[in-house]
Amino acid sequence: MSMNNLNNVSLAAGAAGILTATVGAAENKAVGELLAGIRNASDKVRTEAWLNAGKAGAPAVKPLAAVMTDSDLEVARAATRALWRLVRDAAWPRANKQKQAVEIELIGLLGDKNPVSVRREVLWMLSEIGGRNSIKAVARLLKNSELREDARMALERIPAKGATAALQAGFEAAPEDFKANMAQSLRKRGQEVTGYPCQKLVPKKKTDLKPL
Amino acid sequence: MKQSDQLNRRQFLAAAGTAVASVPYLIPSGVLAARGRAGANERITTAHIGVGGRGGGLMREVKGFQEEGLTKIVAVCDIDRSRLAKALEQAGAGVEPYHDYRYVLERKDIDAVVIGTPDHWHGVQVVHAAECGKHIYCEKPACCTIEEGKAMVAAVKKSNVSVQIGSQGRSQPEAYLAHRYLVNGNVGHISRVDCFHYPSPEDNNPVPDSDPPAELDWDMWLGPLRWRPYNKKYCHGTFRWLLESGGGQIRDRGAHVMSCAMWWMGADGTGPVTVEATGTPPTKGLWDSAVLMDVTYTFKNPDWVLTWRQMPNDQLPPAEQRTGKEPGGKISRPGYGAIYRGDKGEFIHWGGDGGTWAEKKAREWEPLAGARDVYKSPGHFEDWFNGIKTGANTIMNIEAGVGVANLCILGNLSYILGRKLQWDQAKQTIVGDELAQRMMSRPQRHPYHL
Repeated sequence: MSMNNLNNVSLAAGAAGILTATVGAAENKAVGELLAGIRNASDKVRTEAWLNAGKAGAPAVKPLAAVMTDSDLEVARAATRALWRLVRDAAWPRANKQKQAVEIELIGLLGDKNPVSVRREVLWMLSEIGGRNSIKAVARLLKNSELREDARMALERIPAKGATAALQAGFEAAPEDFKANMAQSLRKRGQEVTGYPCQKLVPKKKTDLKPL
Repeated sequence: MKQSDQLNRRQFLAAAGTAVASVPYLIPSGVLAARGRAGANERITTAHIGVGGRGGGLMREVKGFQEEGLTKIVAVCDIDRSRLAKALEQAGAGVEPYHDYRYVLERKDIDAVVIGTPDHWHGVQVVHAAECGKHIYCEKPACCTIEEGKAMVAAVKKSNVSVQIGSQGRSQPEAYLAHRYLVNGNVGHISRVDCFHYPSPEDNNPVPDSDPPAELDWDMWLGPLRWRPYNKKYCHGTFRWLLESGGGQIRDRGAHVMSCAMWWMGADGTGPVTVEATGTPPTKGLWDSAVLMDVTYTFKNPDWVLTWRQMPNDQLPPAEQRTGKEPGGKISRPGYGAIYRGDKGEFIHWGGDGGTWAEKKAREWEPLAGARDVYKSPGHFEDWFNGIKTGANTIMNIEAGVGVANLCILGNLSYILGRKLQWDQAKQTIVGDELAQRMMSRPQRHPYHL
């Protein structure tokens, strides 16, 4: 490689770096402004912030999730609504890159260190995005006693063969008290299930009241 | 219309060829369960699922028919023990109380169920009741998702039971007058119907989640919905203001006002080709349905536009001044209704639910010879009883009820997504938007599913 070529490469790399830094700075600024709006004391400002959350894109997912459990109920609520808005904006028709970027960030929130309430919300967000990337992470939560029902429903909604396979594997591994739940999802996906008949018409709860 | 023109309950009974008073016993179980099979005894045995709030009102209405020998209430059911106890007292001696509606559906002696539960239960309970061969009266809106509506229509068709959805505006005396006035071309060709409504409320005193009250089975109240902690602002009555359960004013009153529009425009069985909504969300609190809202539905072949607008109170059209001597009396609900815009004039009605008030020109219009008449409902329950006994289609049958509910659902979906939706009525699906398509259904908690 000649010196000229090296210089060109060097210049290109420098330009890319500046561009990345500029984009990064812009993203950080957008996320920072969004979070400031979400944490604002004014109802109107918070509402304006969550309504426009989609503009901040995937980089805002984790910072918003951290605010979803804020001690101020209205701030926490605004953060949750912001994340939902962001998910739905990202899933605009033909916006596949944005959708996948958000999906990946959401998957990262399913880890055990995050609060159950946040992970439950994230499971439903992933079910709306309906991407294949999330199947494995969602299926892992079929073993979590607090989240397994939401994980089952999320998988039921993801339109991929992999989701059906994950439901099947989850059914086989499920403890006895969760088999019927898994069977419900498999039947919804058009799968035949041996045993564990549908429970929807089976009454369970009686009243202690008596006729007059 | 004079009062005497309307069939009262006794006249309806006679018209249906009944002889209730002479038959003091009930027919064996299931005889009336097959649609179109008139039993030896005309009493319809009913069970009431969801008996607080509106459900309690429906039960008291049916009790009125019981006193006339047309019905017999045999069971009441609620997952709130206090509400169940109260309903049991009101229903009277011999009525069996239930916590779980599925016990009700098991009883072979029950011909019909009246469902007055929150909206998110309607789809599941209508499907289950139809599968068990029960005739069904279900409060509006028919359903909360497109998928529920499809399942309801399929289950009802398969079981051949009679269903009435509780958009009772269609059965009001002045609804008949309005309908007749419009179909006879008095405002010309109608190309636009603008529905108006006052705003949805905001939760200005939000409270944190808490333990549910002891008398309430919170798990079963939620039923098919995903689990969430109890909140005082998300339960009886207030569920109305959350998108996932009640859907706001559009799915509440929209299921009334737009029901009249679809009926009078002859549009039952049709649907829009596009739906576009904008709105203003609440700025605080748990409730999330739009406070102000603008929805535009475009229909093709024939071409017309339907709009739903939740607007500030000071922008609502003024209500007609009345003496109180009119058939419907004074307008007690002036905050909602619709304006029908034709090429020869306009027509306005207020209300659209239990109170439907037609503009004076429709009330005073005298049909000339050859004028077209329209179906005059004998009353919303009476129309349903007729459906049970004769197999006749009810005025707000399942297809019509689901069709109107779909308008409400699509309006909310467009509002939530912030984009225009394309709708394929024949395929009952949103076109070209995968996320919106996924949101046409919602996974349901075990075992409360379609």
